Amino acid sequence: MDITLFLFQLMNGVQYGLLLFLIASGLTLVFGVMGILNLAHGSMYMVGAYLAWYFTNTTGSFGMAAVISAIVALLLGILIERTLIIRLYRRNHLDQVLLTIGLIFVFNALQSLLWGNDPLGVAVPAWLDGAIPLTDMIEYPVYRLFVSLLCILIAIGMYLTINRTRLGMLIRAGESNRDMVECLGVDINRLYTLVFAAGVALAAIAGIVSAPMVSVVPGMGEHVLISCFVVVVIGGMGSIRGAFVGALMVGIVDTFSSIMLPQVSSMMIYILMAVILLVKPKGLFAS
Amino acid sequence: MFTNRAEKLFVWMFFPLALLMPLLLDQNTFYVNKLATILILSIFVMSLDYLVGRCGLVTLGHALFYGLGGYLFVMLTPEYEAVNFWVYTFYVLVIASAIALVVGFIVLRTSGIYMIMITLALAQMCFYFFSDSTEFGGNDGVFIYVKPETSVFGLNLFDLDNPTHFYYLCLLSLFNCLLFFKLIMRSKFGRIVDAVQENPERTTALGYNVFQFRLASYVIASALGAYAGYLFALQYGFVNPSMLSWQTSGTALVMSILGGLGTLYGAILGTLVYEGLHYGFEHLTEHWLLPMGTLIILMVLAFRHGLAGYLESLLGKRK
Repeated sequence: MDITLFLFQLMNGVQYGLLLFLIASGLTLVFGVMGILNLAHGSMYMVGAYLAWYFTNTTGSFGMAAVISAIVALLLGILIERTLIIRLYRRNHLDQVLLTIGLIFVFNALQSLLWGNDPLGVAVPAWLDGAIPLTDMIEYPVYRLFVSLLCILIAIGMYLTINRTRLGMLIRAGESNRDMVECLGVDINRLYTLVFAAGVALAAIAGIVSAPMVSVVPGMGEHVLISCFVVVVIGGMGSIRGAFVGALMVGIVDTFSSIMLPQVSSMMIYILMAVILLVKPKGLFAS
Repeated sequence: MFTNRAEKLFVWMFFPLALLMPLLLDQNTFYVNKLATILILSIFVMSLDYLVGRCGLVTLGHALFYGLGGYLFVMLTPEYEAVNFWVYTFYVLVIASAIALVVGFIVLRTSGIYMIMITLALAQMCFYFFSDSTEFGGNDGVFIYVKPETSVFGLNLFDLDNPTHFYYLCLLSLFNCLLFFKLIMRSKFGRIVDAVQENPERTTALGYNVFQFRLASYVIASALGAYAGYLFALQYGFVNPSMLSWQTSGTALVMSILGGLGTLYGAILGTLVYEGLHYGFEHLTEHWLLPMGTLIILMVLAFRHGLAGYLESLLGKRK
C-alpha cells in the first residue's frame, strides 16, 4: 500500500469514525446523565435518514430538508421522553431494554408502512458535489470532507457546552448526583428531556448527513447501533471523550481491516473490543 | 416439586394437553410442526429465564448459543450420513458448555449494563463470522440433508422425519428441561444461586465464590440454549445466521418477561402467547411489528409481573 492510498483510506476511516462518534455520543450522553440504555438509538439514525429523503423530495433542497428533519427529530425525542422514557427512571436495565426493543419494532413497522422496504437514495447537493484529486488516480469527494468538518464542529460545540456553560455544569452535576441537583432547586425533569432530545437529534443528524453517502434501507439503524455499542464499551460508558477516541479507533480499524483482511473484517472491531476489555474491563475512559 | 398453585395448575393442564395435541390436530403437519417449534423456543426461553430471572444475569446475546447449537451439529457431522441423535446431543452439549465457559469467563467479569452490551456484541461477532463465511454458506446458511437416527441398543424410539415423532421428542425435552431446572433450584446449588441474586456481597461473606456459581449457571443455561438451537436445526433441516441475530435474543427476553420473569414455567406461557400473537398479527397485517411493539411497550409499563404473576394473583400464591 503506497502512501497516498494509505492517506486516502485513513481519511475514510476518520470520516466513518467521526460519524460514529456523532451517534455514539448521543447514546453515551443519555446513559451518562440519565442512566438510560436506549436500544432504539439506532432507529433514530434510521429515522433521520428517511426524513432527509422524504423532505429532500418534498422541498427539493437537501439543505432545507436537513434543517426540517433535525427539528422533527428533536420534537420526536421530546415526545418519546415525555411519554415513555420518563416512566423508566426508577426501573432496572431490563425494563429499559424491553421498552426500547418495543420502540425498535414500532419504528421499523412505521418505516415500512410509510416509506416501503425498497432502498432509497438521496442525491448529494450540487454545491457539495465534487471531488478533490489526491493523485492522478484517486480523488476524495467534497461531501465526505464536509461531513467530517461538520462532525468536528459538533464535537467542539459539545465539548464547549458541557465544559463551559451553565447547562453543561448541570449536565455534569446530573451525572454525578441526581438527587443533589434536585435538592438545589434545578428542574431535573426538564434537564432530562433536553438531554434525551439532544441525544436523539445527534443520532438523527448522523442519519441525515449519511443519507447521500449510503443507501437508505430498512435495518440500517440496527447495524449502526451495534457498532456504537462497541464504541461506547471501548471508550467507557458515559464518557464523551471515550466515545470520541473509541469511535476513531473503530472507524480506522474497520476501514483498514476491510482492505487488508477482508475475510474477517466484520469481526475485527469486536476482537478489538474484546482485547480492550481484557485489559480494561470498564473501557478506556471509565469514570 | 411444583409448590405454587398457579404453577401446579399450569403444569397439570399444559403437559397432558400437549400430549394429546397431535391427536386433536389429526396429525396436521403444519400445526404439529408449528407447535414443535414453540416447544423448542420454550426450552430456549426457559434457559434464558433461568439466567436472567434466577441468577440476575441480564444477557442480550443468548442467541449466540442457540445458533451455535445448530452450527455445531453442521460442523461435526458428515454431510451424507445419518449419525446417532443421542451421541451428537452429547457432543453438542459438551462443546457448547466448553465455549460457554470461555465466553462466560469474559462476560461475567462485567455486570449490569456492560454485560448487556458485551453479550450483544459477542453474539453479533459470531453472527458476522457465520454470515461472512463461505464455508458455512454465508447468509443463506447450510442445509442438513440427512437427519440423525435415534436408536439406543437397537431400539428406535423416534423417527425424526415424522413431524409427530419430532413433536414428542421436543415435548419430552421441554418437560425434562423444566424438571431439571426445578431440581437445580431445590438443591443446595440452587439455594446459593438464589442467595447470589438476592445479595452477592453477603453470599461472598458467607464464604461462597459468587463468580463460580454465576459461571456454572451461565454454562448450564448456555448448553440448554444450544440444545434448543440444535433441535431447531434438525426440525427445519437448515441453519442460518439469523438464528444468532440480536432479534432472536431480544424476542426471547420479551417472551420470558411476558411469561413472568424467573418463574421457569412462565417461559412456556410467554412463548405460547407471544407466538400466538405473532401468528395472529401476521395474519391481520404485514406490519405486525407495529401492534407487537406497542404491546411490548404497554407490557413494560403496565403488566410488570407477566402472565405467571397474573395467574398467581388470581389463584393466591401458596397451595
